[in-house]
Amino acid sequence: MLLENSDVDIFVASKIGSFKHIKYHSEASKNTKKCIENLVDIKKLQKDDTITRMVWANEEQTEILIGRRNQQVQTYNTEQAKFTQTVTADYAKGDVVGLGKYKRRLITALASGVVKIWSKKDEVVINTGAELDTLKSCEENRSVFATGGKENDIKLWLIGEHRPIFQAKNLANDWLQLRQPVWVTDLCFLPGEGGRLVVGCSRYGYVRLYDTRAQRRPVVNVEFKAMAATCVTPSFDDKQVLVGFGRGQLHQVDLRGKGRPDKGYKGSAGAITCVAAAPAPRRILSVGLDRHLRVHDYDSKALLYKQYLTSKLTGLLVQTATSTPLQHHDDEAVKEEEEVKEEDDLDALFEEMDTVLEKPKKKRAEEKPPTTEAKKLKPSTEGSTEVDLEQAEELEDSEDAEDPEEAIKKLLKSTEKKKKRMEKKKKEKRAKSVFFNA
Amino acid sequence: MARGKDKKKRKLEKKQEGDDVPKKIPHTLESLREKDETIVANAEAEEQEEAQKDLELDELSSYYQNSYEPKVLITYSDNPHTKTRIFGKELARLIPNSISRYRQRSSVKKIVTSAKREDVTDVIIINENQKNPNGFLLIHLPDGPTAHFRLSSCKITPELRKDYKDITIHRPEVILNNFSTRLGLTVGRMLGALFHYEPEFRGRRAVTFHNQRDYIFFRHHRYEFTKDGRRAKLAELGPRFTLRLVSLQQGTFDSKTGDYEWIIAGRRHQLETSRRRFFL
Repeated sequence: MLLENSDVDIFVASKIGSFKHIKYHSEASKNTKKCIENLVDIKKLQKDDTITRMVWANEEQTEILIGRRNQQVQTYNTEQAKFTQTVTADYAKGDVVGLGKYKRRLITALASGVVKIWSKKDEVVINTGAELDTLKSCEENRSVFATGGKENDIKLWLIGEHRPIFQAKNLANDWLQLRQPVWVTDLCFLPGEGGRLVVGCSRYGYVRLYDTRAQRRPVVNVEFKAMAATCVTPSFDDKQVLVGFGRGQLHQVDLRGKGRPDKGYKGSAGAITCVAAAPAPRRILSVGLDRHLRVHDYDSKALLYKQYLTSKLTGLLVQTATSTPLQHHDDEAVKEEEEVKEEDDLDALFEEMDTVLEKPKKKRAEEKPPTTEAKKLKPSTEGSTEVDLEQAEELEDSEDAEDPEEAIKKLLKSTEKKKKRMEKKKKEKRAKSVFFNA
Repeated sequence: MARGKDKKKRKLEKKQEGDDVPKKIPHTLESLREKDETIVANAEAEEQEEAQKDLELDELSSYYQNSYEPKVLITYSDNPHTKTRIFGKELARLIPNSISRYRQRSSVKKIVTSAKREDVTDVIIINENQKNPNGFLLIHLPDGPTAHFRLSSCKITPELRKDYKDITIHRPEVILNNFSTRLGLTVGRMLGALFHYEPEFRGRRAVTFHNQRDYIFFRHHRYEFTKDGRRAKLAELGPRFTLRLVSLQQGTFDSKTGDYEWIIAGRRHQLETSRRRFFL
């Protein structure tokens, strides 16, 4: 049981559109490439299949909503291990930047700033005023969702209402009486507060905490000079968040009191695109544009695990409520059984087959007999009458004249064929190698 | 002293062994390079397939499908000095379909927008320090990536006692050497995309970007085959310079709010864990 609990199921989305399931074991030796499996056929990926947003659709964490650049929203069921539903959100321009689900209603947000709430009865379209970078729905009260974007400060919306229930107000002008620029890149609701506390992070280098009941201006404002924050997630303790940055830093931010930057997690060489926290044991997971998934220990900040995942990663989800088995694990077990069964058949097959090494020998054997027969004939003819000898000699001549030549020709042909085959193989190898193409 | 004697002995032994003994590969930092998991060549089939797909779908793929002709804009930091100006002009002569313009105090972001309007496919900005070119910013348009290199040991043609007029207008052949990791591949592809996809072999002009221990050496040659056609004589045309990657950023230039694919600033000691670790 303990071991099972220590496994973490991770779902990772990438820029080329691949979607992977990784089982992370807390024992380092168990983490192999076998723990990674693709859930999408890579060969079929197109240019606009980039996954721009990935969220859990339900609290049981069995359904994942995936938004792609081609404005398709797919639902993936982890229990059935397949895509169950596809919706095309082409009601406005832009990538899918935010997704949410409330009961049977689907919420989609596009980069142009238009949010749509899909349901069977009616479809509601809300214009948020400016470009959007993110939309998040509150985990505890799924009827509430928040939006934010470039020059589009945080707004909280309630499903069924056309006006925001909360609208953030920018900080006061600076000492030169200049307006402070706003760019919300990601936001999150702090857990255990019923959607009251919202944290937003910005590419302009700030993390702000809003208390929707207290005031419209942020309660806490933490500045990071010249660091573009890209993603934010609640951490384990009260009023702590994890913030990832465009230059590869990953920090915990303490929002108690005046707020301050807390410990940092090192290791990434490129921008962090998504962070997640996995409880029991406490782990910090992050993916980034450097194509790696990293797992840090929460307390010691040590890098426990890193895995290269071939393409630029854009999204990360951790399954904490349930767990999903790897598909090919079961397959392998079955396969092994099958292999055991097949072994007998295989032996028989191998016995029937000619090995490549034996072939030339056989050919020689075929070529030799006529000559040996002729030689055998010789002594027999010597003893017989002259006429017979002559006939035999004639026979010999004809045979000798034809056979060696033919043999040589055959040999030449075979060697040529071999050469051609080798060349073909070489060409194929070259064509396969990425460098030659690049 | 004893070592020297040993050397003589060893030499004698070698002579006696003759030529049939295969040459040993010397142990260099390069040959003892630490394994990099991102090297595409030794990845598994499935990974290679994904890497291939990644290459097919990236921003540079349209160049490698030979769908357009590159058009390059070369510009400088403000008020460049003679050497940088000459260097830029030589680059403009060397890269077909390129123009060199003075910056006129324009910002990089402005340059990018106007270059996009003019259908420029790549922008090169050469920075200068103490009258010597020291920075090389390469922006692929319309949507990135942006690579920033440190430029060093730059030799322009007069310093090599060559004449820039020897550089013909033929489209050169491009040789990209040793770009092996995934990052290296992207950088190599970016550098390759500056030149036309199809070279003019008549010009016998070859441009080499040779990566060795993360330093990218640029050389420019004209070659000539010997009469028996077995070997080629090389004549260097210049200029010559060395690049070292500082950062690779996604999208067009946006150093403050952009997302970096790879950046060394601020994490040198984390990344450069060993002398035998290379990133390109």
